[in-house]
Amino acid sequence: MTAPISKAWFEDYEVSLALPSVEMGPMDRFDYIPIALILRDTNPLHLDRVYAQERGLPDVVQQGPLNQAYLYRYFTSLLHDPWDLVATKMRFAANVFPDDTLTCGGEVLALAPQEAGAGIVTCAVWQRNQRGETILKGEAKARIPSRR
Amino acid sequence: MIVNRTALIGRPLRAATYTVSEVDVKDFLGVVAEPELVAVDAAEGSANVEGGGVTALPRTVPPSFAPFVAVLGLLKTFDWHEDFLFDYRTGTAMFGEQSIQFHRPLTVGQSVAITAVVSDVYEKQGKQTFDVVEVTFDIKTGEEGELLMSGQQSYILFK
Repeated sequence: MTAPISKAWFEDYEVSLALPSVEMGPMDRFDYIPIALILRDTNPLHLDRVYAQERGLPDVVQQGPLNQAYLYRYFTSLLHDPWDLVATKMRFAANVFPDDTLTCGGEVLALAPQEAGAGIVTCAVWQRNQRGETILKGEAKARIPSRR
Repeated sequence: MIVNRTALIGRPLRAATYTVSEVDVKDFLGVVAEPELVAVDAAEGSANVEGGGVTALPRTVPPSFAPFVAVLGLLKTFDWHEDFLFDYRTGTAMFGEQSIQFHRPLTVGQSVAITAVVSDVYEKQGKQTFDVVEVTFDIKTGEEGELLMSGQQSYILFK
Protein backbone atom coordinates (compact mmCIF):
# COMPACT_ATOMS: atom_id res chain seq x y z
CA MET A 1 0.00 0.00 0.00
CA THR A 2 1.30 3.44 -0.83
CA ALA A 3 -0.07 5.36 2.17
CA PRO A 4 -0.72 4.51 5.79
CA ILE A 5 -4.36 4.57 6.77
CA SER A 6 -5.49 6.24 9.94
CA LYS A 7 -7.87 4.24 12.09
CA ALA A 8 -10.94 6.37 12.69
CA TRP A 9 -13.34 6.14 15.64
CA PHE A 10 -17.07 5.70 15.33
CA GLU A 11 -17.62 9.41 16.03
CA ASP A 12 -15.44 10.26 12.99
CA TYR A 13 -17.68 8.44 10.49
CA GLU A 14 -20.63 9.99 8.68
CA VAL A 15 -22.81 8.76 5.85
CA SER A 16 -21.35 9.52 2.39
CA LEU A 17 -17.84 9.97 3.82
CA ALA A 18 -15.31 8.70 1.27
CA LEU A 19 -12.79 6.22 2.66
CA PRO A 20 -9.15 6.88 1.72
CA SER A 21 -8.20 5.21 -1.56
CA VAL A 22 -5.14 3.01 -1.66
CA GLU A 23 -3.14 1.74 -4.63
CA MET A 24 -1.65 -1.76 -4.68
CA GLY A 25 0.63 -3.37 -7.20
CA PRO A 26 1.74 -3.93 -9.83
CA MET A 27 0.42 -7.48 -9.66
CA ASP A 28 3.08 -10.15 -10.06
CA ARG A 29 2.45 -13.32 -12.11
CA PHE A 30 4.85 -15.26 -9.88
CA ASP A 31 2.46 -14.70 -6.96
CA TYR A 32 -0.10 -16.85 -8.78
CA ILE A 33 1.97 -19.99 -8.12
CA PRO A 34 1.72 -20.02 -4.30
CA ILE A 35 -1.92 -18.94 -4.57
CA ALA A 36 -2.64 -21.88 -6.92
CA LEU A 37 -0.99 -24.19 -4.38
CA ILE A 38 -3.00 -22.78 -1.46
CA LEU A 39 -6.26 -23.05 -3.40
CA ARG A 40 -5.33 -26.48 -4.86
CA ASP A 41 -6.35 -24.86 -8.16
CA THR A 42 -4.27 -26.04 -11.10
CA ASN A 43 -6.42 -24.32 -13.73
CA PRO A 44 -3.90 -23.35 -16.47
CA LEU A 45 -5.81 -20.10 -16.98
CA HIS A 46 -3.89 -18.75 -13.97
CA LEU A 47 -0.46 -20.11 -14.87
CA ASP A 48 -0.07 -20.70 -18.61
CA ARG A 49 0.05 -17.57 -20.77
CA VAL A 50 -0.28 -19.49 -24.06
CA TYR A 51 -3.35 -21.35 -22.77
CA ALA A 52 -4.94 -18.05 -21.69
CA GLN A 53 -4.14 -16.35 -25.01
CA GLU A 54 -5.63 -19.27 -26.93
CA ARG A 55 -8.87 -18.43 -25.10
CA GLY A 56 -8.80 -14.80 -26.17
CA LEU A 57 -7.35 -13.36 -22.98
CA PRO A 58 -4.34 -11.01 -23.02
CA ASP A 59 -2.46 -12.94 -20.33
CA VAL A 60 -2.99 -15.29 -17.42
CA VAL A 61 -5.83 -14.34 -15.06
CA GLN A 62 -5.16 -13.52 -11.41
CA GLN A 63 -7.13 -15.77 -9.07
CA GLY A 64 -10.38 -14.17 -7.88
CA PRO A 65 -9.79 -14.90 -4.18
CA LEU A 66 -6.49 -13.02 -4.44
CA ASN A 67 -8.32 -9.95 -5.77
CA GLN A 68 -10.68 -10.27 -2.82
CA ALA A 69 -7.77 -10.64 -0.40
CA TYR A 70 -6.39 -7.24 -1.47
CA LEU A 71 -9.78 -5.59 -0.92
CA TYR A 72 -10.14 -7.30 2.47
CA ARG A 73 -6.64 -6.18 3.38
CA TYR A 74 -7.53 -2.62 2.45
CA PHE A 75 -10.77 -2.53 4.42
CA THR A 76 -9.47 -4.31 7.52
CA SER A 77 -6.48 -1.95 7.63
CA LEU A 78 -9.02 0.78 8.49
CA LEU A 79 -10.14 -1.17 11.56
CA HIS A 80 -8.67 -1.07 15.05
CA ASP A 81 -8.71 -4.89 15.07
CA PRO A 82 -8.95 -6.67 11.68
CA TRP A 83 -11.42 -9.14 13.21
CA ASP A 84 -13.84 -6.30 13.94
CA LEU A 85 -15.01 -7.21 10.46
CA VAL A 86 -18.65 -8.26 10.70
CA ALA A 87 -19.71 -9.10 7.14
CA THR A 88 -18.80 -8.72 3.49
CA LYS A 89 -20.63 -9.06 0.22
CA MET A 90 -18.63 -8.87 -2.99
CA ARG A 91 -19.26 -9.39 -6.67
CA PHE A 92 -16.62 -10.16 -9.28
CA ALA A 93 -16.97 -7.78 -12.21
CA ALA A 94 -13.76 -8.17 -14.26
CA ASN A 95 -10.43 -10.00 -14.43
CA VAL A 96 -7.04 -8.86 -13.14
CA PHE A 97 -3.89 -9.51 -15.18
CA PRO A 98 -0.16 -9.39 -14.36
CA ASP A 99 1.24 -5.86 -14.01
CA ASP A 100 -2.20 -4.39 -13.30
CA THR A 101 -2.35 -1.84 -10.52
CA LEU A 102 -5.35 -2.04 -8.22
CA THR A 103 -6.96 0.83 -6.38
CA CYS A 104 -9.25 0.11 -3.47
CA GLY A 105 -11.68 2.57 -1.95
CA GLY A 106 -15.08 2.98 -0.45
CA GLU A 107 -17.78 5.14 1.01
CA VAL A 108 -19.82 5.03 4.21
CA LEU A 109 -23.38 3.89 3.57
CA ALA A 110 -24.87 3.53 7.04
CA LEU A 111 -24.09 3.92 10.74
CA ALA A 112 -25.69 1.91 13.52
CA PRO A 113 -24.74 3.14 17.00
CA GLN A 114 -24.31 0.55 19.73
CA GLU A 115 -23.49 0.68 23.43
CA ALA A 116 -20.89 3.09 24.84
CA GLY A 117 -20.55 5.15 21.69
CA ALA A 118 -19.29 2.34 19.48
CA GLY A 119 -21.18 1.20 16.42
CA ILE A 120 -21.44 -0.74 13.21
CA VAL A 121 -20.34 1.00 10.02
CA THR A 122 -21.52 -0.27 6.64
CA CYS A 123 -19.43 0.80 3.65
CA ALA A 124 -19.58 0.36 -0.08
CA VAL A 125 -16.18 -0.98 -1.14
CA TRP A 126 -14.66 -1.27 -4.56
CA GLN A 127 -11.52 -2.26 -6.40
CA ARG A 128 -10.57 -0.85 -9.80
CA ASN A 129 -7.69 -1.35 -12.18
CA GLN A 130 -5.45 1.33 -13.73
CA ARG A 131 -7.97 1.81 -16.56
CA GLY A 132 -10.74 2.59 -14.07
CA GLU A 133 -12.54 -0.70 -14.71
CA THR A 134 -14.31 -2.15 -11.68
CA ILE A 135 -12.83 -5.47 -10.60
CA LEU A 136 -14.80 -6.03 -7.39
CA LYS A 137 -17.62 -4.17 -5.78
CA GLY A 138 -19.72 -4.78 -2.75
CA GLU A 139 -20.22 -3.94 0.88
CA ALA A 140 -18.29 -4.44 4.09
CA LYS A 141 -19.54 -4.00 7.62
CA ALA A 142 -17.40 -3.58 10.75
CA ARG A 143 -17.56 -2.78 14.45
CA ILE A 144 -15.88 0.55 15.18
CA PRO A 145 -15.03 1.52 18.76
CA SER A 146 -15.70 4.87 20.32
CA ARG A 147 -12.90 7.35 21.03
CA ARG A 148 -14.24 7.62 24.63
CA MET B 1 -28.43 -31.07 -24.30
CA ILE B 2 -30.52 -28.72 -22.18
CA VAL B 3 -29.67 -29.04 -18.49
CA ASN B 4 -32.30 -28.13 -15.92
CA ARG B 5 -30.58 -27.48 -12.61
CA THR B 6 -33.59 -26.18 -10.68
CA ALA B 7 -34.08 -29.67 -9.20
CA LEU B 8 -30.82 -29.07 -7.32
CA ILE B 9 -32.49 -26.48 -5.04
CA GLY B 10 -32.44 -27.74 -1.45
CA ARG B 11 -29.78 -30.35 -2.11
CA PRO B 12 -27.35 -30.74 0.79
CA LEU B 13 -23.74 -31.03 -0.36
CA ARG B 14 -21.01 -33.22 1.18
CA ALA B 15 -19.68 -32.34 4.62
CA ALA B 16 -16.01 -31.36 4.30
CA THR B 17 -13.10 -30.32 6.49
CA TYR B 18 -10.09 -28.07 5.99
CA THR B 19 -7.15 -27.35 8.27
CA VAL B 20 -5.88 -23.77 8.27
CA SER B 21 -2.27 -24.82 7.81
CA GLU B 22 0.68 -22.66 8.80
CA VAL B 23 2.25 -23.35 5.39
CA ASP B 24 -0.82 -22.05 3.54
CA VAL B 25 -1.04 -18.97 5.75
CA LYS B 26 2.68 -18.18 5.45
CA ASP B 27 2.55 -18.58 1.65
CA PHE B 28 -0.49 -16.31 1.59
CA LEU B 29 1.19 -13.67 3.76
CA GLY B 30 4.20 -13.80 1.45
CA VAL B 31 1.97 -12.65 -1.40
CA VAL B 32 -0.46 -10.27 0.27
CA ALA B 33 2.15 -8.90 2.67
CA GLU B 34 -0.14 -8.62 5.66
CA PRO B 35 1.45 -7.91 9.02
CA GLU B 36 2.71 -10.99 10.84
CA LEU B 37 0.33 -13.32 12.63
CA VAL B 38 -1.19 -11.89 15.79
CA ALA B 39 -1.73 -13.77 19.04
CA VAL B 40 -5.40 -14.03 19.99
CA ASP B 41 -4.60 -13.40 23.65
CA ALA B 42 -0.95 -13.08 24.54
CA ALA B 43 -1.55 -13.21 28.30
CA GLU B 44 -3.56 -16.43 28.03
CA GLY B 45 -1.05 -17.98 25.64
CA SER B 46 2.04 -17.24 27.71
CA ALA B 47 0.41 -18.82 30.76
CA ASN B 48 -0.49 -21.92 28.83
CA VAL B 49 2.23 -24.35 29.89
CA GLU B 50 2.05 -28.06 29.24
CA GLY B 51 4.64 -30.67 30.19
CA GLY B 52 7.19 -28.05 31.15
CA GLY B 53 7.11 -26.25 27.80
CA VAL B 54 5.11 -23.31 26.59
CA THR B 55 2.54 -24.40 24.04
CA ALA B 56 2.20 -22.47 20.82
CA LEU B 57 -0.10 -19.48 20.91
CA PRO B 58 -3.30 -19.70 18.96
CA ARG B 59 -2.58 -17.16 16.24
CA THR B 60 -5.28 -15.45 14.27
CA VAL B 61 -4.96 -15.28 10.54
CA PRO B 62 -5.92 -12.07 8.76
CA PRO B 63 -9.55 -11.87 7.62
CA SER B 64 -8.22 -11.53 4.06
CA PHE B 65 -7.50 -15.28 4.22
CA ALA B 66 -11.17 -16.00 4.95
CA PRO B 67 -12.32 -16.02 1.29
CA PHE B 68 -9.64 -18.65 0.63
CA VAL B 69 -11.05 -20.86 3.40
CA ALA B 70 -14.56 -20.43 2.04
CA VAL B 71 -13.55 -21.13 -1.56
CA LEU B 72 -11.35 -24.09 -0.66
CA GLY B 73 -13.83 -25.55 1.79
CA LEU B 74 -16.75 -25.23 -0.58
CA LEU B 75 -14.87 -26.81 -3.48
CA LYS B 76 -14.58 -29.90 -1.28
CA THR B 77 -18.34 -30.07 -0.76
CA PHE B 78 -19.36 -30.74 -4.34
CA ASP B 79 -18.42 -32.36 -7.59
CA TRP B 80 -18.96 -30.15 -10.62
CA HIS B 81 -20.40 -32.98 -12.70
CA GLU B 82 -22.33 -35.02 -10.13
CA ASP B 83 -23.76 -32.15 -8.11
CA PHE B 84 -23.95 -29.25 -10.56
CA LEU B 85 -24.46 -31.24 -13.81
CA PHE B 86 -21.51 -29.34 -15.25
CA ASP B 87 -18.67 -30.63 -17.44
CA TYR B 88 -15.64 -28.37 -16.91
CA ARG B 89 -13.91 -29.87 -19.97
CA THR B 90 -16.44 -28.33 -22.31
CA GLY B 91 -18.10 -25.61 -20.25
CA THR B 92 -17.00 -22.46 -18.48
CA ALA B 93 -17.67 -21.72 -14.83
CA MET B 94 -16.76 -18.75 -12.69
CA PHE B 95 -17.39 -17.31 -9.25
CA GLY B 96 -20.35 -14.99 -8.87
CA GLU B 97 -21.11 -13.21 -5.63
CA GLN B 98 -19.78 -14.14 -2.21
CA SER B 99 -21.17 -12.95 1.10
CA ILE B 100 -19.70 -13.87 4.46
CA GLN B 101 -20.74 -13.15 8.02
CA PHE B 102 -17.85 -13.38 10.47
CA HIS B 103 -18.59 -14.86 13.89
CA ARG B 104 -15.14 -15.70 15.28
CA PRO B 105 -11.52 -15.23 14.15
CA LEU B 106 -9.78 -18.03 12.30
CA THR B 107 -6.60 -19.38 13.88
CA VAL B 108 -3.59 -21.18 12.47
CA GLY B 109 -3.81 -24.96 12.79
CA GLN B 110 -7.55 -24.88 13.28
CA SER B 111 -9.60 -27.61 11.63
CA VAL B 112 -12.85 -26.34 10.26
CA ALA B 113 -15.95 -28.22 9.15
CA ILE B 114 -17.92 -26.97 6.17
CA THR B 115 -21.56 -27.76 5.49
CA ALA B 116 -23.41 -26.40 2.48
CA VAL B 117 -26.70 -26.65 0.66
CA VAL B 118 -27.83 -25.49 -2.79
CA SER B 119 -30.16 -22.65 -1.80
CA ASP B 120 -31.19 -21.38 -5.23
CA VAL B 121 -30.71 -21.92 -8.94
CA TYR B 122 -31.86 -19.49 -11.60
CA GLU B 123 -31.14 -18.70 -15.23
CA LYS B 124 -29.86 -15.31 -16.36
CA GLN B 125 -29.27 -13.80 -19.75
CA GLY B 126 -26.19 -11.70 -20.45
CA LYS B 127 -24.15 -11.91 -23.65
CA GLN B 128 -24.66 -15.63 -23.06
CA THR B 129 -27.24 -17.58 -21.10
CA PHE B 130 -26.00 -18.95 -17.79
CA ASP B 131 -27.25 -20.58 -14.62
CA VAL B 132 -26.50 -19.09 -11.23
CA VAL B 133 -26.12 -21.79 -8.58
CA GLU B 134 -26.28 -20.30 -5.10
CA VAL B 135 -24.81 -22.24 -2.18
CA THR B 136 -25.43 -21.36 1.48
CA PHE B 137 -22.71 -22.48 3.87
CA ASP B 138 -21.63 -22.69 7.50
CA ILE B 139 -18.02 -23.05 8.61
CA LYS B 140 -17.61 -24.27 12.19
CA THR B 141 -14.80 -25.31 14.51
CA GLY B 142 -16.01 -28.92 14.11
CA GLU B 143 -19.11 -30.83 13.14
CA GLU B 144 -20.96 -29.66 16.27
CA GLY B 145 -18.57 -26.79 16.96
CA GLU B 146 -18.87 -23.03 17.16
CA LEU B 147 -19.77 -21.02 14.10
CA LEU B 148 -16.80 -19.22 12.53
CA MET B 149 -18.27 -17.99 9.28
CA SER B 150 -21.53 -18.33 7.41
CA GLY B 151 -22.59 -17.05 4.06
CA GLN B 152 -23.42 -17.61 0.44
CA GLN B 153 -21.36 -18.25 -2.66
CA SER B 154 -22.74 -18.27 -6.18
CA TYR B 155 -21.27 -20.03 -9.18
CA ILE B 156 -21.95 -18.98 -12.74
CA LEU B 157 -22.27 -21.89 -15.16
CA PHE B 158 -22.42 -20.83 -18.82
CA LYS B 159 -24.77 -22.79 -21.06
